[in-house]
Amino acid sequence: MSGAPVLEASGVTLRYGAVVAVDDVDIAVAPGVLHGVIGPNGAGKSSFMDALSGRRRLSAGTVMLGGEDITRRKVAWRRTHGMARSFQKTSVFNSMSVRTQLEMVARRNREEDLDSIVHAFALEPYLDQPCSAISYGLQRSVDIAMALIGKPHVVLLDEPGAGLSQEESVRMLDHIRALCSERDVAAVLVEHDVDGVFRVCDEVTVLSLGTVLACGKPADVRANPAVIEAYLGSQA
Amino acid sequence: MNLAQVLNGLALGALLMILSSGLALIYGLRGVMNFSHGALYMLGAYLAYEVTSQGLSFWLALILAPLGLAIVGAALELGFFRRLQRRSHIEVGLVTFGIALVIDRLIVIVWGDNTLPVRAPKAVDGTTNVFGTDYPTYRLLMIVVAIAMAAALVLWLRNSRVGLHIRAASHDTETSGILGINVDRVSLVVVMLGGALAGLAGTLAAPYFSVSPGMGQSILITVLIVVVVGGIGSVGGAMAAALLLGLVQIMGNVWLPSVAVLVPYALLIVVLLWRPTGLAGKRV
Amino acid sequence: MSSVPTAVSTDDPAVVPDLDDDAGGMLDGRVSVGLERRVVLRGAIVAAVVLVLGLFVPNIITDSYDMGVAADGVVLGIMAIGIGFLAHRSGLISLGHTAFYGGSAYGLAIATTHWGWSPTSAALFAVVGGTLLAVAIGALVIRITGFGFLMLTLAFGQALYAVSTLTSVRSVTGAFDGISVTYAGENTKFLGMTQAQLGAPHTFWPLAWISLVVVAFGLWLVGRSRFGVTLEAIRDNEERARFSGYNTYLPRLGGFAISGACASIAGVLFALKASYVSPDVLGFQLAGDSLIATIVGGFTILVGPAIGAVLYIYAQGKFGDTGNLELYMGLALIVTVIFLPGGVTGWVVEQFRRLRTLVAGRKGASRS
Repeated sequence: MSGAPVLEASGVTLRYGAVVAVDDVDIAVAPGVLHGVIGPNGAGKSSFMDALSGRRRLSAGTVMLGGEDITRRKVAWRRTHGMARSFQKTSVFNSMSVRTQLEMVARRNREEDLDSIVHAFALEPYLDQPCSAISYGLQRSVDIAMALIGKPHVVLLDEPGAGLSQEESVRMLDHIRALCSERDVAAVLVEHDVDGVFRVCDEVTVLSLGTVLACGKPADVRANPAVIEAYLGSQA
Repeated sequence: MNLAQVLNGLALGALLMILSSGLALIYGLRGVMNFSHGALYMLGAYLAYEVTSQGLSFWLALILAPLGLAIVGAALELGFFRRLQRRSHIEVGLVTFGIALVIDRLIVIVWGDNTLPVRAPKAVDGTTNVFGTDYPTYRLLMIVVAIAMAAALVLWLRNSRVGLHIRAASHDTETSGILGINVDRVSLVVVMLGGALAGLAGTLAAPYFSVSPGMGQSILITVLIVVVVGGIGSVGGAMAAALLLGLVQIMGNVWLPSVAVLVPYALLIVVLLWRPTGLAGKRV
Repeated sequence: MSSVPTAVSTDDPAVVPDLDDDAGGMLDGRVSVGLERRVVLRGAIVAAVVLVLGLFVPNIITDSYDMGVAADGVVLGIMAIGIGFLAHRSGLISLGHTAFYGGSAYGLAIATTHWGWSPTSAALFAVVGGTLLAVAIGALVIRITGFGFLMLTLAFGQALYAVSTLTSVRSVTGAFDGISVTYAGENTKFLGMTQAQLGAPHTFWPLAWISLVVVAFGLWLVGRSRFGVTLEAIRDNEERARFSGYNTYLPRLGGFAISGACASIAGVLFALKASYVSPDVLGFQLAGDSLIATIVGGFTILVGPAIGAVLYIYAQGKFGDTGNLELYMGLALIVTVIFLPGGVTGWVVEQFRRLRTLVAGRKGASRS
């Protein structure tokens, strides 16, 4: 489950004008590892994801995928070379059927076993409906399913549980956990559901105001006094 | 290039500035590119003709035409923009395109096909000596009115309560609504104001360009270019772009007369490709 | 960017396994993306039948004037379905297709009249030239959507119009007088037709009709292909398409070029028939009217814009003299956009669909 990291980012810094959203953040994730990123609002979690995924250009730092420097690489290139992402605000093709959009992504990313992904997210009954016609939770599943197609080496999941009920969220995280282990995927998971993160993740990074507050195994991070003071408060 | 040509550039820029401010206001608030703005301008010119041909003074036309166009603006807002709020911006734009065609034709039906003259009032009909050059006084009036209007508009937007509401609603309609700003009422004010400004521009243009059925279409493309170059919804940007285009156009006329007509297009293409949101624009 | 509303795609998923042996992407044996042989064959048969039937139109319409309306409508219709294709698949509204229509018309006129080329080579040159122009302009404007795109296409189109009226290039373009197309030399026939035959509606019709059916069939194939689905995906959610691994620039450029090619073909046909080209083929009125025809006809259905074009030419004949044509165009546009988002053809299809569900409902009710 561990080994050499397939995703390695160092010194990641993202500035919006005078505001420093992400300040010198490092991360290293090995295949099969689920790495959670938590922190209070405004900690820079989504910006960090934007930086890692290439949605925004880094102000400083590098991102390495499988040992290769991909900092300058465009988003579409990253996807076909093994880095996928899902979105906090569900981003699917509303007017297309579930079947069509999954096939489109599958074709582009050489997925041979689309059926298993459809099965894992229980999307069979909805395949022929347009995405605009299915529930938000199912749209979310489609969003995440699209990120897992093609056996990407690295998957960036931005608040997969957002907008879901507690029960749906738990199930979602379990799905992700299972799929990651099965497919040996290195996953970075940004979430607000702290308990969920501690439950399924192998490693956790805590961000606060753009910098890393702590990083390590869930149990250690949970007990870290700085983290407790800044974020967990009475939750720990 | 001599002073007279520079002043000509400013005069053209002045007209464009008045026109484009109204268009930019509407665009900033409703997100709609009002393709009927040229027709409104033309209607203003024809109203000015109507007023002066009845023997009334031009100064009166300068008040009545903008008022008339403000009413037309109200009709646009109440009849169309408000009802079509939920539709995409392009669709509403297409509707205004259709409205332009209708207004254009109605004007010809009422006033006929010919070019109609509007004489400038005697007081400004001569020339004035500006730094050694004799320059038509009327055009100086145009420049003065435009600058006064621009200053008044900017001050009003910056300092008045309604101006604050307009700026807020232009920036973020939904949040403004939640904060208690009556966006519909603000829209009405903005569209009426935009119409009035178009009417003012048309009235001012009447003695300068004469009143003819093609004037709406010919100025429409230019003013659209000005607003887009100036930046999405930025009134200040539109004003600056208007003056810029006025001056650049005149320079083009002087230095490259054979291709001067291409100047606005070249400006639009260059600016949009360099900065898709325009010179001062923030959102697309 | 919110796009002009379109009906959800009515293409049925194919029930036949994908016959072009493509690895991956299949879901439980069924494929919904791409062209399947059976569907293509069906479409080709329909196209062939329509083609043959249409060739009999000159036998039905005997009046030369009415035939002319039909022919002109079909020619304009080819440009309109190109505009409609871009609007439907890419969600882009263009006011600049006159650049390719007029550009290729002028290309044909200049090549034959000034350079002495044969009509056939000139036509080929004009279509290719118009398409290349579309690629060149598209390369610049396709990065931008919405109003910016509309404005840029308008600017390019009207800039070209301005160029055609410049007195400095009068020797080439004839400025406002235009060019009277003359064929010189030995080879004065286009595909076996003389200039006179091209100018007569009854003999011109087969050329126009065949072109329309072929272009429409081609667009249909493209729309149903993987490329067409890619275009729709990009229109639906451009960012997601990129994050799914798709380059979004090249497909959109391709779509723009294809729609520009349609306009070029139409322009050449126009020049062949009219034998006279003037700046009007590049003007703002044509740009606006062809867009209105596309919208009123309805571009959610492939041939909708062609029907809109025929209606427009008919209206032009009827109201052109009274001067009220533009008034009716404006009203038609307003009414269509507000009340009939799918245009006339979209409305008709919707009525059929309602009728079908009504009938099915009645059947179901009487059964239970």
